[in-house]
Amino acid sequence: MTKLLTPPTLLTRILLATVMLAAVMLACSLLGTEHISLKKALEPSHPGVVNPDYEIFFRVRGPRIILAAIVGAALACSGAVLQALLRNPLADPYILGISSGAGLGAIIAITIFSRLNWMLWGRSPIAFFAFVGALATAGLVWTVARLTGKSQVTHLLLAGVVVNAFFSAMIMFLTSIANSSQVQRTIFWLMGNIIEEDPLVLWTSGGFVLAGIFALFFISPQLNALSFSEVDAKAMGINTAATQTVAFVLAALITAVAVSLSGLVGFAGLIVPHGVRLVFGPDHRQLLPLSALIGAGFLVAADTLARIVVAPAQLPVGVVTALIGGPFFLVLLVRYSRRIDWLAK
Amino acid sequence: MKIIANKWFWLAVFVLSWTVAGVAMFSDDTTAITEHGGPCPQRIVAMAPNLTEILFALGLEDNIVGVTEYSNHPPSARQKPVMGTFWQPNIEAVVAARPDLVVALGFNRQAGLAHRLARLNFNTLTVNIETIPQLLDAIEKIGTVTNKTAAARRLSERLRNNLDNISRRVAAGHRPKVLYIIQIEPLRVAGRQTFINELIELAGGENAIAPTINKYPPVGPEQVIASNPDVIIQPVMDVMEKADLTAGKQQLVEYFDRFQSIAAVSGNRIYVIDGDAVSRLGPRIDQAAETVARCLSPELFEEP
Repeated sequence: MTKLLTPPTLLTRILLATVMLAAVMLACSLLGTEHISLKKALEPSHPGVVNPDYEIFFRVRGPRIILAAIVGAALACSGAVLQALLRNPLADPYILGISSGAGLGAIIAITIFSRLNWMLWGRSPIAFFAFVGALATAGLVWTVARLTGKSQVTHLLLAGVVVNAFFSAMIMFLTSIANSSQVQRTIFWLMGNIIEEDPLVLWTSGGFVLAGIFALFFISPQLNALSFSEVDAKAMGINTAATQTVAFVLAALITAVAVSLSGLVGFAGLIVPHGVRLVFGPDHRQLLPLSALIGAGFLVAADTLARIVVAPAQLPVGVVTALIGGPFFLVLLVRYSRRIDWLAK
Repeated sequence: MKIIANKWFWLAVFVLSWTVAGVAMFSDDTTAITEHGGPCPQRIVAMAPNLTEILFALGLEDNIVGVTEYSNHPPSARQKPVMGTFWQPNIEAVVAARPDLVVALGFNRQAGLAHRLARLNFNTLTVNIETIPQLLDAIEKIGTVTNKTAAARRLSERLRNNLDNISRRVAAGHRPKVLYIIQIEPLRVAGRQTFINELIELAGGENAIAPTINKYPPVGPEQVIASNPDVIIQPVMDVMEKADLTAGKQQLVEYFDRFQSIAAVSGNRIYVIDGDAVSRLGPRIDQAAETVARCLSPELFEEP
């Protein structure tokens, strides 16, 4: 039997993960196609005298790294929650149709609204449409599952899969009648991308994601019970329906924020929670914060690779997460599953 | 007093105050997009291959400090630092190049780029180039901003004259139907809303494909047979030597071998051309039009 999780252990691990994330972010902000020195980057530009190191560090690379961290944290945390809710190891933030809903929103914005050159608060409408599409789809899937009545988990999954398939078909239809530059932009969006964003966008979305992660952390004891079975959870006096609803809404919200900022970055939401669970154990009080921190670090590192591997061009970050995350996860799976089995005997 | 102890209450307070703080701190940070103004630019970055060509044609070679990938013409453009592709620019490289003017395309693929650059306080000039008249306008607009007004006027005049000459030369002949192949397998052709269509009509032809929703529609064998083109043209990319063209033609002829009922196939009017100039709305558009015109009515262009 593994040791019980004590508050000091938890706190130490969270602190260590935070320090690691900070180190990764600092290291990555010094890596890139343009070499910059930290010392020079800290001297601000004056009017007339532009300091490229400062501009790159604070206005190009910095915002991009922060965005990657926000997206990575949101996806990993929501993946962990959905795996618990659905009691399904294959669950990820996108399994309930959020990806295709956001994708459909994005492609509608790209094909229809960009033709009108329509802007929303001076920004391209893609992010807004993706956000609305993601939430609307999550709501649809949830309602359908509720309408079917009991044994919600299976129905939730089925509804998610069907809605995903249907919306993917609509995406393909719109792609096939769009013109080539729109197709290119759509595919690019679907692959997931991190670019530098406005400070205000970073600040608000970062705040929402942080609050969402904290809220999920508050209900982690209930999630622990739910991840065994609904019957057990009810026996422990937990209001399962309310917990499920709250967890689902929060996970959908932070995923929608992430997706509307970066497109569909794959894999981070699947492998990071699994990796954390394999290494540190399945207790959600620990799984959620550690997944968020490690997910953030993972996506920052992946995006840095995406920036520099094929320089001067760049890769979509989703390509990197899949290419690195997949094999890395397989190694983890083999190593830790064997160790745990061996210890159990 | 119970509510004070509630963590959810404090979370809500956090979200609210966080948002308010953010708006207070950053909302004045959104700089308006500044179109170019100010002194004559000395360090220019061109965000698309055709923009690079235009800048070179205006004699600004020494002022170009950055181009995008595939800027291969004129040959000396290859020596310039590359700042990513035109649909995914490397913003860091642009910042490091310290440009005082960034020229970008205004359409879809680069939408948002001008905004991102303006946020970093760069002077940006955005031009829309999707048709030949827009190209001529853009040349003059770029000329105005870079203090090359006279050169720009000369260039656009020359292009206009050359294009007029070509269309006058072919005016008398009949108007062959042209199928302009973008790729085979799956077959995709140039539709009517493209500048390729403009080139075809300038060169005295008519697009074999009726109006479509897509700019470059995929078509099936049925439409190919029904459209019965008199001439089939395909551009080949990255032509290094003559052999590339011959190989491309071989492939195209083999592909269309099964459509013997098509006039272009039975009449052996299948052409493969160097795609470099004809795929780009730039200062070589007159050469592109002539290349197409030569395919449509070779007899008019025979050397005496």
